[in-house]
Amino acid sequence: MAKKAGKRVISEDQAVELLALFVSSAQLLMSEPAHYGPLRLLTATERLSAMMLERASPETRPFLELAIERIPQMHMQMSDVEAYSAGLEELNAAIGECLVRRAGLE
Amino acid sequence: MSNDVLDAIRKRRVVREMTDEPVTQEQLEQILDAGRWAPTGGNLRQNRFVVVQDEKIKRLIYQVSPGMFQRPPAIILICSDLQLAIDHQLGEDKPTFLMDVGKAAQNMALAAHSLGLATGPVTSFSQTAVSRILNLPETYVPHMFLCLGHAAPVPQFNVRAWQRITWRDLTSYDRFPSGSGGG
Ligand SMILES: Cc1cc2nc3c(=O)[nH]c(=O)nc-3n(C[C@H](O)[C@H](O)[C@H](O)COP(=O)(O)O)c2cc1C
Repeated sequence: MAKKAGKRVISEDQAVELLALFVSSAQLLMSEPAHYGPLRLLTATERLSAMMLERASPETRPFLELAIERIPQMHMQMSDVEAYSAGLEELNAAIGECLVRRAGLE
Repeated sequence: MSNDVLDAIRKRRVVREMTDEPVTQEQLEQILDAGRWAPTGGNLRQNRFVVVQDEKIKRLIYQVSPGMFQRPPAIILICSDLQLAIDHQLGEDKPTFLMDVGKAAQNMALAAHSLGLATGPVTSFSQTAVSRILNLPETYVPHMFLCLGHAAPVPQFNVRAWQRITWRDLTSYDRFPSGSGGG
């Protein structure tokens, strides 16, 4: 468990790339519609997932794979609230599963 | 009714998945020339184009552009040079500048389409960070990236429209009936 928790899955370059995404998103969101907020968070989730995929543990990989496949589709479904919500439901079910497995609860 | 121009207008779609195949210098120049021919308010011609093909710089741009889903071989940044507005005392946030950017972008998108290339506009980027990354002159305001390349042979993700519309939904003729106006 300790070893898993301490494992580095992204590099400093990749971390800086995410920082750039966070601060540029924050600046854009000041003048963008409210529903762009989830979109930007999902973009960050997708990019982080892609960065982590190579070195992530088997418990985490299913979530990463789902995020990489599902989020680009969701970006294009913003006007379809039901489809968008279904995507968020799927991702949240997967992260719940990932957390349970990583904590060794099941 | 149909002709090449009408067909291009109807068939051009935003492309968000592109291949690595480069854009030739000749294609690039044709597209920039189409941008040059776009009309500008007062014929001020303050649009400026910055072509980015260097891999390292494209990567930095991607990092501060949350709305960029493409990894294109070439990017054209459309800027306004405010120097002309300053010289002519026009006010630096003249709305026609943005219209001029839109007109150039569409000319370039249609020119690219006619050459068998794909485009995708991106305005969701940090203007502050992009100005620094490209070391833009102080009077340049970056407005829109036009990602340029070849469409990948995969289903393209397109933003689903809120509703289907035709020109009829957008158009009315002459005067609105009494009682419908705000005045
Ligand atoms: C002013 C403007 C800004 C846009 N900005 C972005 C952007 O930041 N990211 C993006 O993926 N698409 C962007 N688009 C593309 C639109 O989402 C796209 O044109 C629209 O979904 C219709 O698609 P179509 O042109 O293929 O019919 C922009 C389009 C315009 C006109």
